[in-house]
Amino acid sequence: MTATGSSFPSTSQPTAAVSDDLRLAAAVLRKDRKATAEFIDRYADPLYGYLSRRLIPRTDLVDDLVQEVFLAAWESLGAFQGQASLKAWLLGIARHKVEDHYRARLRDPEPLADQETELNPALAVEPLIDKLLDQDRLERKTKRVLEELPEAYSAVLLWRYWEHRSAQEMAERTGKSVKAIERMLARAREQFKRRWQDE
Amino acid sequence: MNSSEPNERFFEDLASAFDDDAAESAMPSKLKAKAYSALVNRQQESGPLLGLRDTYAEGRGLCVHEHLVRIAPVGTKAQQFNCCSICHARVLGEALENPPIYWGNCPYAGFKRS
Repeated sequence: MTATGSSFPSTSQPTAAVSDDLRLAAAVLRKDRKATAEFIDRYADPLYGYLSRRLIPRTDLVDDLVQEVFLAAWESLGAFQGQASLKAWLLGIARHKVEDHYRARLRDPEPLADQETELNPALAVEPLIDKLLDQDRLERKTKRVLEELPEAYSAVLLWRYWEHRSAQEMAERTGKSVKAIERMLARAREQFKRRWQDE
Repeated sequence: MNSSEPNERFFEDLASAFDDDAAESAMPSKLKAKAYSALVNRQQESGPLLGLRDTYAEGRGLCVHEHLVRIAPVGTKAQQFNCCSICHARVLGEALENPPIYWGNCPYAGFKRS
């Protein structure tokens, strides 16, 4: 697997940070066990945070995926050259894992009941997002709503809006048509908004 | 006007409201411990670890058990052996969030502190 880290821009690292990253990567490659512990200790928290937010509602997968990211990183660490920070590079690998998960979820059949539901374009939500909600409450509410959705719907929304992938890109990666992705997005948005309003 | 525009705006605003990819959440220390053990095991699949004398020479702190191995009159293989694989600290670190490990330079204790 090749991960460039380009998905997480971290351009023009300070020189000291670059050399620190390269030094740590080289020590891990030499199989220095203490450097390996430092590698885990330094980067486990950002990976855990990113994966926890992106895998809603399947947070049960996070623990294994963090480990998988480190193992995948070990396989390709020799290619790390410090253009991005080591953290950004690792988050790039994590992003590949997340997109693999989304791709699998979107290949699952949609709930039949939802396919037959008429979309309701009139279902409006307040123009964002009652500024009354503070950041924490907003995040908690969003997580709750995403957790309640069928997995395919939370995956398609996270992929589209949090990972900034277009319907075209998602279609290419899943082998579905753009129209099918757009229909799924429309249903997912509607279900999300219903639950959002009910909260 | 495209009827999906307000929808798009709602979700784009929502995502941008908390879209810090690199925001950290503390990973439980026992999960870090398991990830560390898995990574060291994987490293060993392609050959031995760096010997403890070399690790020490590079300025890395060793735990009390590793120090004993480092100064013992033993060969390269023993220096490269992963002492943690037979250490009770690893078992505690992988099982408990606050493992009772009270000596320095143990990676499993280090995960607990962070």
